[in-house]
Amino acid sequence: MTDPHDRSVTGFRTRFLLAVSAWAVLVAAVLVAVPLAFADRLPDPLATHWGPSGRPDGSMPFAAFVLVLVVLWVVVAGVGAGVGARARTLVRRTPRAWYCAGLAWAGGLMVVTQAFTIAANLDRGDWTRAAGMSWQVVVIVAAPIALGALGRLAGLRGPDVPPAPPRTRPRIDLDPGKRPVWVSTTTAPWAAWLAIVALAAAVALAGTALSGLFPGGWRAVVPLAVVGVVGTVLSSVSVRVVPEALTVSVGPLRWPSRRVRLDRVERAWVEERYPAQVGGWGYRGLPGRATIMIRGGECLVVRYTSGGRLAISVDDAEAGAALLNALIARQRPSVER
Amino acid sequence: MLLTLDLNDPRPLHEQVAAAIRRAIGAGDVAPGDRLPPARDLAHALGVNANTVLRSLRDLRDEGLLEFRRGRGVSVLRRPDGREALRTRARDLLDEAARYGLTTDDVVALIKDVIKDLGEDPGDDSGKEMA
Repeated sequence: MTDPHDRSVTGFRTRFLLAVSAWAVLVAAVLVAVPLAFADRLPDPLATHWGPSGRPDGSMPFAAFVLVLVVLWVVVAGVGAGVGARARTLVRRTPRAWYCAGLAWAGGLMVVTQAFTIAANLDRGDWTRAAGMSWQVVVIVAAPIALGALGRLAGLRGPDVPPAPPRTRPRIDLDPGKRPVWVSTTTAPWAAWLAIVALAAAVALAGTALSGLFPGGWRAVVPLAVVGVVGTVLSSVSVRVVPEALTVSVGPLRWPSRRVRLDRVERAWVEERYPAQVGGWGYRGLPGRATIMIRGGECLVVRYTSGGRLAISVDDAEAGAALLNALIARQRPSVER
Repeated sequence: MLLTLDLNDPRPLHEQVAAAIRRAIGAGDVAPGDRLPPARDLAHALGVNANTVLRSLRDLRDEGLLEFRRGRGVSVLRRPDGREALRTRARDLLDEAARYGLTTDDVVALIKDVIKDLGEDPGDDSGKEMA
């Protein structure tokens, strides 16, 4: 990227972080100020949960009620701002708009929930006599969504950097006495850590459940184990191109693995794809139009002669696509590209 | 990473693999700081044993081109300097010459010819570049 471009991005990042911080501080101030203003008219503990009938069925001490919402908001806003301020997300309109929408929605949800909770408890001597919830539920659902839409509009403003221009095509040596191969591996360390934590939690829970300490633990073991296994498999992807075949394998054990003979590959190219476009990380989409998304950015896209295509997020995809196309052209000189 | 093995290279396999990786680093396909793919992926693609690849990687580390870091794999430390890069290419040149039936002396004579050609062209662009 060129220098003047970087400077404008830095300026935009400052403004973006200022706007996000202003929103974070505003919401936090409301979350603290409103309950404190009504503190002497609220019961302690106050009703914080309503059953399906609309009657209160759960309570919380006043201090905990204030603290939980504020801490939750600080965490959400901190993570949201941190993720949104990363250079790759910041300069691209679509993901930035969704981050802004998420932050606006989360802030709105907390303020509206708190406001209705306080209103229901106001001037009631005891939490069990708090007012019921009926139409308020609609507002609690709808108002944050409206705020999120506004946040998304705000996030749409600002630069949208087109993907970087393709680099120069690498020279491919297809001398018959040479064997050119291409290897690329991409790993997502955070997915590996998530998987380790989930697997450790699953083992610990299974242990406590077996020993009879916490019999209810079994219910969480299966979901945690599934998260662990899926996270492990999707923490890395390896793509290999040799003169005979293309091999794509995932996971630290390189299994599952898929080997495609080159006569079944029609063409390869490079695309910029991001989790926000393909619907998240992992194996996204249906077979035939799938993306193996380990990290956003450069993806190697392969189209099969059957018409299906597969995109894999790997580094150095330009060289891989060039080698694939060169090998295909050598194998089928008649095919014009 | 793009690697090219020479099928006619008579050297031991681990030297061939090391030469291919050295060529890739020299050509700028991988830059200093970049991580190499895991040895077993390289081995699988090149159709050699993983221990052969590990031996080449160790040789390149001893040359100072690669760095091994625990938990972070193998990364490129620096590009081969001009002399090392030229040595690899001279080696390739001699291999290619042998395929055309030329001896080492023929290649030396050829290089001397080329130098003479360059020297007989004073005032040319190439002459200015040499100065």
